[in-house]
Amino acid sequence: MVLVAVLFLAPLITGLFAWVAQSQRFTEKLQAVGALATLAAAGKIASAVYYGGAINGWHDIIYIDALSAFNIFLIALIGFAASLYSIGYMRHELAEGEISFSQLRFYYLFYHLFIFTMLTVSAVNSLGLLWVGIELTTLVSALLVAFYGKNNALEAAWKYLIMGSVGIAFALLGIIFVYLSGIQTLGQQHAALNWTELLAAAKFLNPSWIKIGFIFILIGFGTKAGLAPMHFWLPDAHSQAPTPISAVLSGVLLNTALYGLFRVYAIANTTLNGEAAQYLIFFGLFSIAITVPFIMIQHDLKRMLAYSSVEHMGIITLSVGIGGTLGLYGAFLHMFNHSMAKSLLFFAAGTICQKYHTKQMGRITGILKSMPVTGTIFLIAAFAITGAPPFNIFLSEITIMMAGFKSNQTIVSVILIVLITIIFAGMMHYIIKMVFGESGNKVERIETSNWSTVALIIPLILVVICGWYVPPLLDNTIYKVSTVLQGGVR
Amino acid sequence: MDALVSAGLLFSTLWLFKIRKITDAVGIIAFQSALLALVAAIMWYKTGIEHLLVAAALTFAIKTILIPSILYYTINRTNDKQAVERLSSPHVSLLLAILLMAAGYYVATDLRLPGTQHGEHYIASSIILIFLGTFTMIEHKKAIMQAIGLIVIENGIFLITESVTYGMPLVVELGILFDLLVSAVVIAVLAFRIHSSFDSLNTDKMQNLRG
Repeated sequence: MVLVAVLFLAPLITGLFAWVAQSQRFTEKLQAVGALATLAAAGKIASAVYYGGAINGWHDIIYIDALSAFNIFLIALIGFAASLYSIGYMRHELAEGEISFSQLRFYYLFYHLFIFTMLTVSAVNSLGLLWVGIELTTLVSALLVAFYGKNNALEAAWKYLIMGSVGIAFALLGIIFVYLSGIQTLGQQHAALNWTELLAAAKFLNPSWIKIGFIFILIGFGTKAGLAPMHFWLPDAHSQAPTPISAVLSGVLLNTALYGLFRVYAIANTTLNGEAAQYLIFFGLFSIAITVPFIMIQHDLKRMLAYSSVEHMGIITLSVGIGGTLGLYGAFLHMFNHSMAKSLLFFAAGTICQKYHTKQMGRITGILKSMPVTGTIFLIAAFAITGAPPFNIFLSEITIMMAGFKSNQTIVSVILIVLITIIFAGMMHYIIKMVFGESGNKVERIETSNWSTVALIIPLILVVICGWYVPPLLDNTIYKVSTVLQGGVR
Repeated sequence: MDALVSAGLLFSTLWLFKIRKITDAVGIIAFQSALLALVAAIMWYKTGIEHLLVAAALTFAIKTILIPSILYYTINRTNDKQAVERLSSPHVSLLLAILLMAAGYYVATDLRLPGTQHGEHYIASSIILIFLGTFTMIEHKKAIMQAIGLIVIENGIFLITESVTYGMPLVVELGILFDLLVSAVVIAVLAFRIHSSFDSLNTDKMQNLRG
């Protein structure tokens, strides 16, 4: 329990101190150390859960099993990488006069609050508190999306806030339906909203209310996870936010929304005897399909990456819907791989956009010549995200396709292969144009701040290693995570 | 009593489609929230579940006093032309709202919810509030009115929790109210910044991001 307290307090205290600090260097170092402390606490909790099973406490408010610990660790890991990246990125913005020092402190305060809200979502037992946490992530990150205060950023933030809140309101309605059936089975008590109790009683819940509840929650949390057709806010918000925030939004916030959805799905699928899976398969495939035209005609680099996030959330949802040991394993492996590859890609793209002073892909050429290190990493990350071998996403996508064939979802798997291939071609068309060729004479040949490059190392290593094989520790972790969703076994 | 409160909620929501000034909408949602607090108190009286009383007091403090004050302050400070702007004419929008009300009643009679011995009067009202809140968000062009629509939806959901499930567990209820308060502050902050950047709160001007 002390560990959990440290996990919550580390980002809160870091944010507050970074906010009141008077020196820029001190603020930067302090927040990086704070992010490292959060990561250490998350790592400790993950290993405690890995070896000792689920953590339970604080009058049943806190519940951390393998799935929670997996999500917490991912949040802290990407959070740490993005906090390092923020230093170099924000120094550049400060030097360019885009932001002031007081805005910088505001940024670090809200950045760590944002990490805190995501950690809360993953550590609570009650579905009601899960909802409270997810709503808080929207509220805090909407202010971060609006950070630059330009017209486009404000438009994106407003859309995000309103669409996110309405979606989430429907999820609350769904949670009430689930609570209602919980009360009927477990009696009028606060535990009737606890995930552990609901899962244990899932066989005895009323199927029709659970079904209505699940559909509302699917729409609500699906809005937050960027599942089509509720994804319209996502490309705006993810492209207008400062790049480190884009990386966190795409890399872990979407996972956190899916985390909420999958928790409810575990209950609903047991109650409905597997009937809930078809909804996930439908929304998953639809999300992948809808990104195809948008990626093909895209002009804005960060928007293209945002649409790619919609695609990958679709793949994860689809894979959970396919289910079975292999499907769930593939889904969570993909979740991990996508977080690494997408944050790496956003980091590299952010540095590129800063150097070229544009997000328009037409105006970016010859990255490899002007920025050899960042350019190479950008190319690797782009190959990884489109599912080219020998990088990590290739392995998880193959696993998901295999799962589809194995569980007699041949058509689904074939559609998936076709769509992924088209998206690969569409994205590579733009990436190749940007990476190769002559660089314009405007861009001087300098590498960026060391902080921005150091931040790339963590995800880069994992993207490359996990392309060859899944390390045993990760392999076992993901098996444990997928058993959580198979119900019962904990 | 139940019927009276339900009628109050429904007519106040319909009134949203008649108003000319945005500040009137703030008054309407304050009135609705006061009725919600009353519903929670009624449910406490009927069932004796104590935390409903806490919920009633907090609902009154946060949803009836704090949030409307924040919104009122925002509207006044942005000095926007306070007239509402709709997509369709007031009569058409009132007509559509009434149609949605009928649809809401129809849905409610089809819904067989458990534990409704005390709350059955409110189910139809809450569904109608959710419908009309959504309609408000689509119908109005002012950014603040979208926030009002959101609050009406939330009121509908509150009504269901209080009447059908007799509130949520207290910790959750506190969390939800805290979220609502924070969201009102965030809405106010963004509205101020939108107003100073766009010189207006009309969402027609915010159509730059596409594709």
